[in-house]
Amino acid sequence: MSPIGAPTLGRFAEYRATRSRDIRDELILEHIGLARSLARRYSGRGESVDDLEQVATVGLLKAVERFDPERGLAFTTFAVPTITGEIKRHFRDRGWATRVPRGLQDLALRLTRTVQELGHELGRSPSVEELAAALEVSTEMVLEAMEANRSYSASSLDAPGSDDQNASGLDRVLGEHDPGMEAVEREMVVRDLLETLSERDRQIVQLRFFEGLTQSEIAERINISQMHVSRLLARALSTLRGQLELD
Amino acid sequence: MSDQEIELTIPGSAEYLRLARLAVADAGSRVGFSFEEIDDLRIAVDELCFALANGESEARLNLKYQVGADRLVVEGHCDRDGAATPVLSDLAEAILTAVVDEYHLGNAGEGAEFHFAKALSGS
Repeated sequence: MSPIGAPTLGRFAEYRATRSRDIRDELILEHIGLARSLARRYSGRGESVDDLEQVATVGLLKAVERFDPERGLAFTTFAVPTITGEIKRHFRDRGWATRVPRGLQDLALRLTRTVQELGHELGRSPSVEELAAALEVSTEMVLEAMEANRSYSASSLDAPGSDDQNASGLDRVLGEHDPGMEAVEREMVVRDLLETLSERDRQIVQLRFFEGLTQSEIAERINISQMHVSRLLARALSTLRGQLELD
Repeated sequence: MSDQEIELTIPGSAEYLRLARLAVADAGSRVGFSFEEIDDLRIAVDELCFALANGESEARLNLKYQVGADRLVVEGHCDRDGAATPVLSDLAEAILTAVVDEYHLGNAGEGAEFHFAKALSGS
């Protein structure tokens, strides 16, 4: 990315005066690295980097449209909050059920980050009190945010052929260990049921409930956050329950 | 500290299970379970409440959470006139085995009941 100097500011002034598409495209291309860099900061939260980069580019376009060089600000100073605002809005609009209040959504997103950070720092799953202290909220708010996280969906991760290189199907998972006969029989009975899930959800259910991995261990294995494992498990179980009712 | 008991009565439909999960999360937090263990408790209460009431809004679920120094016991009771004995699917059995130390679901008088228990790791 080139430094933002007087020539660039001059181009912004020119764009404001002419609204030339060529100048606009040139300015976008010049700052696309900034948008991509910001998009990557929000990766690992249930949306693909490609999707996030697209959203960030929309944010960059808005920033280019609205930037006024006369105000004396550097373009990046103006663009960063505009682009991150667009990314955050995307998470809210795409990911959350509308019934979860905005403030609680924000807290739930912060909780996701804090669970991961504190977990790494402590080397274990944090307690609710520790999370409340780190987030500077009450334990009740942490519990509410935990519950609110169930309302979050991340459908882009569920599509078959998602970008998870480490994901393995149930067949592969079953072939990797040698459980006792009882467990084998149980797995045979539920195999058809689990087939109704996406590959990733199936793998997570298998690892958690049949191989006994903790959510943190699963998160590490398939490279997503523990909170995301929690959400995917909750949703997978809800899907399976619905399937049982149909049966 | 002697055990504290929390009691909650809710309709049996799925939308009210949120309250059961919130209560078990709070109770688990008081015992000192970790964030992940509390998630396990929420899964357990979800599975067993659903098996007990079968998602019927007419059913009334009575839940008791016994908060011990190092252990949480949850009991659920539901009056289900003429309803069949509640059963757990093989999958539900596998899930509960993974998330709690012990559990039971069966008939009780005119209705059905469950209980499950989970102790702090290392206790």
